[in-house]
Amino acid sequence: MRGIEDFRDEVGPTGPVCVRGGGTRWELGGTPAHGSREVRAPAGVVAFDPAEMTVVVGAGTPLGELVEVLAGHGQEVALEGPAGATVGGVLAVGRSSLRRLRVGAVRDALLQADCVGADGSLFKAGGPTVKNVTGYDLCRLLVGSLGTLGLIGQVILRTWPSPERTLWMQGSGTPEAVRNLCYRPSSVLWDGRRVSVCLEGYGEDVEAEAAALGSHLGLEVVATAPTLPPHRSRWTGRLAEGSLLEVGTGVVHGPVEEPAPEPGPGVAALAARIRSGFDPGGRLNPGRDPYRIAA
Amino acid sequence: MWWTRRRSTDPLTRDLEAAIGADSVEGGASARLLYSRDGSIIRGGKAGVVCLPGSTEQVAACVRIARAHGRAFVPRGAGTGLTGGAVPCDDPVVIATTRMDRILEVDVDRRIAWVEPGVVNLDLTSHLAGTGLHFAPDPSSQQACSIGGNVANNSGGPHCLLYGVTSVHVTAVEVVLPDGEVVVLGEEEGDAVGYDLRGAFVGGEGTLGIATRIAVRLTPDPPEVRTLLLDFTTIEEAAETVSAVIAAGIVPAALELMDQQVVQAVEPFADAGYPLDAAAVLIVELDGLPAGAAREAESVAAVARECGARTVRIAEDEEERARIWKGRKGAFGAIANIKPSYYLHDTVIPRTRLAEVVTGVNAIAERHGLIVMNVFHAGDGNLHPLLVFDHREPGVMDHVFAAGEEIVRLSLEVGGVLSGEHGIGLEKRRFMPLLFSPEDLAAQRALRDAFDPDGVANPHKVLPSGASCGDVQDLPEIPEGVWV
Amino acid sequence: MTGSSSPRTGGVLDLRDDALASCVACGLCLPHCPTYRVTGDERRSPRGRIALMRAVDEGATAPDAEWLEAMDTCILCRGCETACPSAVPFGELMSDTRAAVTRTRQVPLRLRVGLAVLVRPRLLRGLSRILALLQRLHLLPGRLPLPGRLPMRDPRQKGRVGGEVVLFTGCVMDAWQPEVHAAVEEVLEACGATVSRSGDAAGCCGALHAHAGLEGAARSLAERVMAAIPEQVPVLVDSAGCGATLRGYGSLVGTPEAAAFSARVQDVHEWLAADIDRMPAATVGKRSTVIVQDPCHLRHAQGCHGSVRTVLAPYADTVELDDEGLCCGAGGAFSVLQPELASEVRLRKTASIRRAMATTGAEAVVSANPGCAIHLAAAGHVVRHPLEVVAERIRGKQGGAHGR
Ligand SMILES: Cc1cc2nc3c(=O)[nH]c(=O)nc-3n(C[C@H](O)[C@H](O)[C@H](O)COP(=O)(O)OP(=O)(O)OC[C@H]3O[C@@H](n4cnc5c(N)ncnc54)[C@H](O)[C@@H]3O)c2cc1C
Ligand code: SF4
Ligand code: SF4
Repeated sequence: MRGIEDFRDEVGPTGPVCVRGGGTRWELGGTPAHGSREVRAPAGVVAFDPAEMTVVVGAGTPLGELVEVLAGHGQEVALEGPAGATVGGVLAVGRSSLRRLRVGAVRDALLQADCVGADGSLFKAGGPTVKNVTGYDLCRLLVGSLGTLGLIGQVILRTWPSPERTLWMQGSGTPEAVRNLCYRPSSVLWDGRRVSVCLEGYGEDVEAEAAALGSHLGLEVVATAPTLPPHRSRWTGRLAEGSLLEVGTGVVHGPVEEPAPEPGPGVAALAARIRSGFDPGGRLNPGRDPYRIAA
Repeated sequence: MWWTRRRSTDPLTRDLEAAIGADSVEGGASARLLYSRDGSIIRGGKAGVVCLPGSTEQVAACVRIARAHGRAFVPRGAGTGLTGGAVPCDDPVVIATTRMDRILEVDVDRRIAWVEPGVVNLDLTSHLAGTGLHFAPDPSSQQACSIGGNVANNSGGPHCLLYGVTSVHVTAVEVVLPDGEVVVLGEEEGDAVGYDLRGAFVGGEGTLGIATRIAVRLTPDPPEVRTLLLDFTTIEEAAETVSAVIAAGIVPAALELMDQQVVQAVEPFADAGYPLDAAAVLIVELDGLPAGAAREAESVAAVARECGARTVRIAEDEEERARIWKGRKGAFGAIANIKPSYYLHDTVIPRTRLAEVVTGVNAIAERHGLIVMNVFHAGDGNLHPLLVFDHREPGVMDHVFAAGEEIVRLSLEVGGVLSGEHGIGLEKRRFMPLLFSPEDLAAQRALRDAFDPDGVANPHKVLPSGASCGDVQDLPEIPEGVWV
Repeated sequence: MTGSSSPRTGGVLDLRDDALASCVACGLCLPHCPTYRVTGDERRSPRGRIALMRAVDEGATAPDAEWLEAMDTCILCRGCETACPSAVPFGELMSDTRAAVTRTRQVPLRLRVGLAVLVRPRLLRGLSRILALLQRLHLLPGRLPLPGRLPMRDPRQKGRVGGEVVLFTGCVMDAWQPEVHAAVEEVLEACGATVSRSGDAAGCCGALHAHAGLEGAARSLAERVMAAIPEQVPVLVDSAGCGATLRGYGSLVGTPEAAAFSARVQDVHEWLAADIDRMPAATVGKRSTVIVQDPCHLRHAQGCHGSVRTVLAPYADTVELDDEGLCCGAGGAFSVLQPELASEVRLRKTASIRRAMATTGAEAVVSANPGCAIHLAAAGHVVRHPLEVVAERIRGKQGGAHGR
């Protein structure tokens, strides 16, 4: 199996490089600059210890493969992505799962990342344990960085027990009414009139909450999650026609593409210092910029 | 204010007084002495001037004035930190946030609150009484520590096992950067666009700037809580139970272990009914919706019995639950009845290696003739071995530091890390190379330098550096008369 | 911790070594200290004060003006003691420090004059009547720390003897709030007890002298009080401050007799609560709702604040404050010596009282300590002694409010 050292050697110390994952969101945040060499991170589940609730996995591993391994032990990760996406790709993009209210943000799932830095050497961010404040939190910085600070080769992720039961419901109502009736729904989506709710947990609890939503708000059970409109943007307090708000996460799924909001001058300068600090020569995923992703 | 004062002659102090008022700048010997320390055992810090600003603008002014005078600055909250994070090196301007203690806004519908950094952790939760919401991070120091300090140290607590540490509950931070500029990192809800600068700032231990306003996520109170007390005749069985519970697919809200020494010390005052002959007890709390909490409680009880638990007690009512927790939370107090001083360690190990490491820690303490008490967040493998001693005994400090280092090394040997929640500060920076390669440390340095290119924010903390910091560079060199 | 006979440091302040060593600097006491709460300043905190004591004791720092101010601004409410997990005896450390300080520094003149008056009951009453007259003529500044309406008549009651219990009448309270003693006596008698009064022979308990570090004076007042109450019966106290002081005679005087005397002292609520069944049923008046303010000397020093609720329960509904018993800022002579800090501390208390009033509709505050009552009344609150509320319900007695 190709290991992390092979990945390092492949990246080498010079020349612009970009990492190809599943290629499912290749154009997000800009396409790699012309002339960039394409590399792939190692793939495969390296170690999974269900009693530790952590998994070591190559960043090039298709997410579906990881999900399957974990499911075999009744566990899951907070990562979610389109079919064919890789673990590293999902982390680099940093978009959280639709069930974020239950499983948490992607950035909270990454415990350790072994990366190749701009100088071609390996560096490690974070550590293998589920709790860790040893040094700076580079893991959270790497999630959503589109590979501009380091190329993620292998990661340790935190896993969670999968819910026994999952149920989607839909009907007219407000997010507040839903939240008043449910303890911690996994997802609440709202289009301005209709609300979709994902209930997860132990069977009896899910059924009890579903019954409450049914009798108080008239919500009905549906087979699957609602289909999301294609574009994501940040919620600005107004919901355009045909858009769906992910309540509590600030994400809107809409039919039209929205530009990414401009960061303030102080934030932009800080971000620029970070990028040039990690990659002075601009060789890691040139052409990509996380500030161009609308949400 | 009630104390009158003369005008200062020191130009730095004069400028600070002009900017934020004479009542908020203290340069006297007493003030400098007290602001040279925090809750840690580290002595030898040296504060220059102490500022107690009341607003973001005043914090920014302090930072800019410090820089203009070529001085570093050190942010400080309540000073309960245990690794010397707020201990000043090289006469810096100490900027304490204790007067910035307002809860600015609570949005119950969106479950967000904006607070100033000096708000005491527990005050926020008390303030939320009646809303059905609370602030989840619950460090054992929550009655005293500031939310700004929690953010800086990415603090944890018993209930962070299920709910996550501070970073999970902080959505945005207004920060005065080391150059005096004010920025907001993160978004009230969800992820900000671009790099997760908020995530990078949290846990920065005051070296990346000063948090001046914080947006925190509020967590709904669980409808059902089950608290179990399990007791074991060997510590191995207790540790095995911890792994088995997790392996059974249950993540309790809290899973705490206390060894016999602790149990015997706290029982007289907590009256919790801890069995005094138990080698270890586990407190397991399960919460959530009623059916799930009940089923998980049953599973935990079954797993525990299989692993050899002698008794399994489920708290009947709120009062019994409170008594079970009282013992856990009062562990520090009980220690004072044994010896006047303690040195608390904080390493994390894989939770499947608990038994062997606890046994190893006990052996280390014994070799050094010290008493060790284990009371810790077992659920996430976060050890807190407490070395208890009387600092007045000659030579005892050498043993305390040596034992501490051996505990750290043992934790790393089994694949652990240096700190689970107290941070690195001054205390553990010399151990950083044991866990990180030069390349790993260079990456961390790149982050710090981006925030603070000139190295003026809380210098000498977190990362090992060649530079010295007065007497405090190495713990074992702490001057005699140190007290813990 | 070892007993009070354990070794002393032999340093500048000569504090008890174990007491000083027991502080681990954890800071858990900080939010429970009223002066730290309002200033955010470590020098105004228990942890800071202990560290400063240590520094001076070891000779590392000089006891300069800044240092003295740190000590002088302590209210000695002992809220920190209750909060401290390491059981640091802060009250003892601060008392010993003050005693050491007064050995080298004059007590401020204002305080010395005041203390001299307290121990001369007739002079105190005479001056009080002059004050009362001035008050009636509106010649006193409104915000003086005085009861809303000082009594004009000489309220002196003869020290009666031979009762099953002795009511300790003290100094200021006897002169300024005689109606409280009357109400207490009435309740005790309604419970079937015969009551004697300690009267002028016992006089002042010496609390303020001890606070000021005048150990010698405090000790001789203690001797006088004990000599005046030779009876082997319970000594009941209706002022939390005096009660805490009387209970401390054992360690202040250090004799077995003093310890035995202290053991006989009880807060009057504590005594009543121990046998609540003998209290008569409420017969008159309406059940009211009162806000309970816990005096530090009851809650932190004597730890019997629960009794106040037990005793009130049959007669009134009680409302708790949401500030976890933080001091109101009265603190014996503190409100006179540190008026600005005292009123800042009081602001927190009055804010908490207002929140309680807003949510429950309660109007009156009950406090089992005259100092707190006067201090809070000066901020415009209606403050009564808990047993005044009880007395009213058992025979419809009027009056007694200190508020305006
Ligand atoms: C008895 C006891 C129990 C404890 N239990 C726990 C526990 O269970 N879990 C846990 O995680 N910790 C625990 N701690 C450690 C400590 O309480 C926490 O780290 C706490 O978050 C520190 O908060 P503070 O306000 O006291 O910060 P301080 O000690 O004042 O400062 C800590 C660090 O934060 C920085 N800082 C403070 N405020 C700001 C700001 N506004 N902006 C930027 N930087 C800032 C300082 O520079 C310093 O590096 C415990 C401590 C004690 C004494
Ligand atoms: S007095 Fe007690 S609570 Fe306060 S710092 Fe010292 S040990 Fe901690
Ligand atoms: S006695 Fe009161 S005022 Fe003095 S330090 Fe303790 S809590 Fe603070």
